[in-house]
Amino acid sequence: MTAITKKGTVCWRCHAPHSGGHFCAACGKIQPLARGTDYFAFFGLPQKLWLDCAELEKLFHQLSWKLHPDNFVRAGEYERELSLERSSQLNDAYRALRDPVARVEYLLAHAGMRKEGAAKQQAPPELLEEVFELNESLDELRTARASSTDDSHLASLKQHLEAEERKLETKLREVDEELKRIATEWDAAFDAGADQSQRKALMSRMNDVLNRRSYIRNLVANVQKELAEA
Amino acid sequence: MARTVGIDLGTTYSLVAYVADGLPRVIPGPYGSPLCPSVVSVDADGSVVVGEPARRRLLTQSDRTIYSAKRLMGRGVADVQDELKLFPFRIDPDSQHVIRVRLGDRVFTAPEISAFILRELKSWAEDFFKEPVERAVITVPAYFNDAQRQATKDAGRLAGLEVLRLVNEPTAAALAYGLHEKQRGLVAVYDFGGGTFDISVLKLVSTGEGDIYQVLSTNGDTHLGGDDIDNVLRAAEWEEIQKIGLNGFSGLGEHAQMLREAVIAAKHELSLVDKTFVKFPAPDGGWYKREITREEFERAIAPIIERTIGPVKLALADAHLKPAQMDEVVLVGGSTRIPLVRRRVEEFFTRKPHFELNPDEVVALGAAVQADILESGVKNMLLLDVTPLSLGIETMGGVIAKIIPRNSTIPASAQELYTTGVDNQTGIDIHVLQGERELAKDCRSLARFQLKIPPAPAGHARVEVKFLIDANGILQVHARDLHTAEARSVEVQPSYGLNDAEVEKMLEDSIEFAEQDFSERQLIEARTEAESILLATSKALADDMAAELAADERRNIDAAISLLRAAVLGSDYKLIRARVDALNQATMHLAELMMNRVLHVAVEGKRLEEV
Ligand SMILES: [Zn+2]
Repeated sequence: MTAITKKGTVCWRCHAPHSGGHFCAACGKIQPLARGTDYFAFFGLPQKLWLDCAELEKLFHQLSWKLHPDNFVRAGEYERELSLERSSQLNDAYRALRDPVARVEYLLAHAGMRKEGAAKQQAPPELLEEVFELNESLDELRTARASSTDDSHLASLKQHLEAEERKLETKLREVDEELKRIATEWDAAFDAGADQSQRKALMSRMNDVLNRRSYIRNLVANVQKELAEA
Repeated sequence: MARTVGIDLGTTYSLVAYVADGLPRVIPGPYGSPLCPSVVSVDADGSVVVGEPARRRLLTQSDRTIYSAKRLMGRGVADVQDELKLFPFRIDPDSQHVIRVRLGDRVFTAPEISAFILRELKSWAEDFFKEPVERAVITVPAYFNDAQRQATKDAGRLAGLEVLRLVNEPTAAALAYGLHEKQRGLVAVYDFGGGTFDISVLKLVSTGEGDIYQVLSTNGDTHLGGDDIDNVLRAAEWEEIQKIGLNGFSGLGEHAQMLREAVIAAKHELSLVDKTFVKFPAPDGGWYKREITREEFERAIAPIIERTIGPVKLALADAHLKPAQMDEVVLVGGSTRIPLVRRRVEEFFTRKPHFELNPDEVVALGAAVQADILESGVKNMLLLDVTPLSLGIETMGGVIAKIIPRNSTIPASAQELYTTGVDNQTGIDIHVLQGERELAKDCRSLARFQLKIPPAPAGHARVEVKFLIDANGILQVHARDLHTAEARSVEVQPSYGLNDAEVEKMLEDSIEFAEQDFSERQLIEARTEAESILLATSKALADDMAAELAADERRNIDAAISLLRAAVLGSDYKLIRARVDALNQATMHLAELMMNRVLHVAVEGKRLEEV
């Protein structure tokens, strides 16, 4: 298991060399968290993207039972601080890992490979034409709504946009499938002990998919918002 | 050992409970009921009355009495404009980030008013245990924001209580129910109280170590409750009254309270019977009386009940669950006694809801269970609660960047890295907010603070700010300079509510007041004692036996008497006590003489009888 307690240090309480776990193996006191501890290591898991969610929940409950501030109400101030630090980290980690997409987001962010930048606002090339057309339809909808004279025109516009929304949802599912495929590649590469450059290449591909995904999601949200107002 | 209790600080009623032999119980007050009306009244002489006697004063001294003050907790003047149309709060014109209300000629903040209620419950518990109570778990509506939670914590501190934990009301209720019914699986808690509505979706799991109560999602409305039902009924009744005309009835002040009490009584009855009367004594003698049917009642309140359904849907959506997937539905809060509420909940979940436990008491019982776990350190269950609102920081253009999403299990945290934009910039302003909207202006401002930066080229500074929501749902902010690894203190100015210095000041004042109260009581007791010994001494001196005193003994007694008389005129209770002791000392021989005489008479009496 990866060390999640400060390396090269000893227990703050009994000065025994630390075992790397949440608690000192010698005296049982809760230990300070090493800076930059990754969420997978916090649960004692390898950095792989496939996770058994029921198993993760069980680990979450077990660790909650031990780390929650309830256990430290009567402890000294330092231990209360450590419990707060560790239990918040546990909850943050569980929140990120239990959701498959958030899990990829986290893996990339932790490795410094999550790059949104300008890509957030830029349409992916294969969607350029559709986005252009969609924006026109949205404009038309807004104009029709403002004048509100021709109900049948408004209705047909709405119908058109609803069809577009369904198309986008399909795209989103395709993107999710693609992400899943790369995630499987990542896990295989991890098991095979892939080198840094191979990992980086996979992460960069996942980063692109995540950007495309968030772009499409924003589009869907926009369409939904306009439809709800119409 | 000092005791730890659980307290439900409610809008309409507050309760205190404890655990004995593994079972939670409520503590009755001096009037026999465990329900303490959350009403505070201030006398002309400045003394404070809480609970049932204060509630009665709503009808006689409404301008020095306040109810439903929980609605003002953690809020600013702009927030309560709507409430002011419905509640007779007299807001002090000088109020800014903290609302101050006027009661008679004194002015209080909402935490101070809540502190009076907490102090009252603390004394109920102390009278019950015959020992001091110093720590408490206090419940809050699940949908309370940071400022409302902080205000509740401040109230606890002002009442002389160490607040071990703030627990969300529906979660506390689930704890009490889980203990009682041994429930497992998915549970929805529908908590409709006097002033707030909460819905929480929980997952109850049994593990090897014990039971885990994990809140999956929560939603609600901190300004929706039985109060609103009362206001609708009152408005409808007032219309009727104006139609028929009621001589001398202004509908204001005490009249408004009389009308309010009348519609509340009718509301309670309509939970049990199909029709009843709204009735109260008319100002010109006789009674105002109008029949109201349950049907009419339900028509009037249906829109309010319907307002609870929106939050229920949102909570379920956040938990990715459908109404029919719930294994159990639990009803909490006095307003769930209304048959229409029960029908609506059953219809929505297609399941009969539970209401076996007293809906007024169940939250306090759960709070007591949590207090017991925290105090004893013996844990057989664990609550995992969530933050009801997303935490965000303001970015360019007034847009919010969400850093901790709503329904995150607490404690929860997020880190942000900050740097400077221009050379020699010495500070970075940070604005923290809570809410679900995109723009800062639509969210709830929690706090602003400035990170201090030593002068350096632009982009050189690297300050990491950690935002942490603790197990009470309250925000903590820590900053660290990544170049030096030094912690930076952050002075957070809350947007609403009291800052630390203000709470400190109030605490000092209240201790001063308490000391003053203590001295006054001591003085009264000392004077009473002095009067009684002076009276006894003068009686003894008038007796024949006093002639047996030596001349210097007599002089000593006379001197002690005049010294004590002088002290009684002053207000130093310690001096009075000392001189009472001195007089006791001086009259020792006299007392013996008197005692002998009593014995003598008694013995003689006996002899006479024997003859
Ligand atoms: Zn140790």
